[in-house]
Amino acid sequence: MLEQVNPHYQMDMVCADMNLLELNRVSFRYHSDSSLVLNEASLSIRKGECHCISGPTGSGKSSLLNLIVGCLSRPFEGELHIADGVVLGLVMQDPNVQFIRQSVGAEVAFALENLAVPYDLMVGKVQAALRRVGLYVSLDMPIEQLSLGQKYRLMIAAQLVYEPDILLLDEPWAQLDDMGVDELMSVLRLLKSDNVAIVLVEHNPAAFSDLVDHFWQLKDGRVTSGCFQLAPISFTRPGYVPVGKSVLAFEPFEFCFEDQSPLFVCHDHLELFEGEIVALVGDNGAGKSSLLKSIAGIQSNVRALPLAVLGKQPRLGIFGGELGLLLQRPNRQLFENTVLEEMQFSLKRFGLPLENADRLLREMGLEDLKFHSPHTLSYGQQHLVALASLASLKPKVLLLDDPLAGLDQAFYCRVWQVLVSLSQQGTAILFSSHRQMNHMPVTRSWQLSDGILQSEQGFMDCMNAG
Amino acid sequence: MRVKGRHKATKYRGAAGFDYHRLESTATQKSSYVTAASLILVLILSSAAFLIPDRYLPGLILCEMLLVIHGVYRRGNPGVIARVFIVQLIITMSLYYLIHGQSQLAQGAVAVLRILLAFIPGWWLSITCAPERIGEVLTWVLPVKWAFVIAASISLLPYMTVELREIYHIQCLRGARISPKALRDPRNWSELINCVIFPLLIQLLKLSRQIAVAAQLRYFGKSKQPTHWR
Repeated sequence: MLEQVNPHYQMDMVCADMNLLELNRVSFRYHSDSSLVLNEASLSIRKGECHCISGPTGSGKSSLLNLIVGCLSRPFEGELHIADGVVLGLVMQDPNVQFIRQSVGAEVAFALENLAVPYDLMVGKVQAALRRVGLYVSLDMPIEQLSLGQKYRLMIAAQLVYEPDILLLDEPWAQLDDMGVDELMSVLRLLKSDNVAIVLVEHNPAAFSDLVDHFWQLKDGRVTSGCFQLAPISFTRPGYVPVGKSVLAFEPFEFCFEDQSPLFVCHDHLELFEGEIVALVGDNGAGKSSLLKSIAGIQSNVRALPLAVLGKQPRLGIFGGELGLLLQRPNRQLFENTVLEEMQFSLKRFGLPLENADRLLREMGLEDLKFHSPHTLSYGQQHLVALASLASLKPKVLLLDDPLAGLDQAFYCRVWQVLVSLSQQGTAILFSSHRQMNHMPVTRSWQLSDGILQSEQGFMDCMNAG
Repeated sequence: MRVKGRHKATKYRGAAGFDYHRLESTATQKSSYVTAASLILVLILSSAAFLIPDRYLPGLILCEMLLVIHGVYRRGNPGVIARVFIVQLIITMSLYYLIHGQSQLAQGAVAVLRILLAFIPGWWLSITCAPERIGEVLTWVLPVKWAFVIAASISLLPYMTVELREIYHIQCLRGARISPKALRDPRNWSELINCVIFPLLIQLLKLSRQIAVAAQLRYFGKSKQPTHWR
């Protein structure tokens, strides 16, 4: 009789009240002379529970996940106990860097290949995993054709295919647009009801409050019960800028890549004026980055746009220091030995005063870092240094591609202060975001939705009308 | 301490549609043989580009023109070949001019042609064969880990090309002296290395570490004889 009982079910009965994973007073540091990233952290996770660990940027959230999955290069103190038979799955912050294959089916099947599952059985398992995350696409579909939200779900499917007991997710909110977060929430609810334990690390835990059973906050290396509270902040409004000199103007246009149908259209005449801070808001994959690159003159495979920037048709290298562009993951542009040299690089090339770098570092509270290597800084600090290196040029037009992604509110505020300070000196700023900027006093928004780009009124329009 | 319990994923579910799978299996086996033949062809052609005497080069050019036509038919971007040719031409001819003067420029042109002929078969292979299929074929002659590294490197090429282009553009906008015009002056070549190649290598190292972690978490190396998705 016993032989007829499903062994999986037997295990469920035994494990129902057992900890799948337990951290007991775990401490960890990256270097022997650095401060503790984790300081006697304790945590236990059971079947079907959802835990959210929140904390500011650089507080050690990702390190905690890496420690759990055994990917840290240094040893730690304390105990990490994973119950026998428990399987872990991890989805990193940026799914793009986790893909190993080029097509949907091959990506999900990767774990099965390594487990030597025969091909005849793979297809069914891959299809089941994709169904579980609500991804109904061809198995041969190239991954690059998926939206970021779909890629995120694909990466979850690539974990679910080997049936993990605990799924770890690293800051999903930062990368996904609101629709992507909604899709993810549905998938996570389903997994939770299937008794999969979920561990999220987030600096915006409120986004997952409907799902989470236990909130933890990670601060100064300690894991304590509760939700990381975002400090109440008020964003400085940019000063009143009279609508006068236009620095960027679009005639109505269709934005399309060569040999493709239009990605979006704009029926209006759009302009950006000196001193404005305009938010370009649209979902992932709507075409925001490509539009910004087109404005900077570096997007080569799109049809010519009826566009004038500082009175010229954009082309790489013609604007000198008058136009700055900060692309996503701005740490890619860092290469000098010190922060100060990094800041001074463009100043030297454009023949501008080198003192600008020192002054800006002082204003931004980064003076202590000026002789540090940019490569040893935290993600948020690298972000600020890259932005500061452009701000020191005081460009007439500054384009920023999702400059707030992955930053907590403290860094968010510092970035905003830099932008306001620049706008007060006359710089026109256009920045993209995959979320509405209702809480930020931008002078106006350009909304990109349902394939249409249009300008929406901001407080500047009201002031000018008044 | 280490994660266990992988037995769960190896529990097989009943397979449906046996005939369909057998048919598909035969077709994909054929596809593996085609990939193997393609790999051998690429090895021969790329080696020939460097080894054959000048008088046989026209024959090789003819063969590779067929590859280019087939690659374009399979939606490959011939612009890549054009860019490689131009960059090679500028660098190689400049070096020949600096080292040998005008007298050896014809030999420089032949060297450029040979490099291009060695590049084209690889370009064609990347368009016509899936990296995982190349990886599968390589496991016939190489250890699984080496085959994975080669296949993963091929998969990374499009991503790294985009990274290279974006870093180049960012640094151009920051005023780096790396425009095609600036690079005519060899004194600026170090700037290209410092502000484009170094950051690219840093990105590559980060990426390869993340991919290694992703692969390790998905049981890469667990089985000595992994199966293959087709």
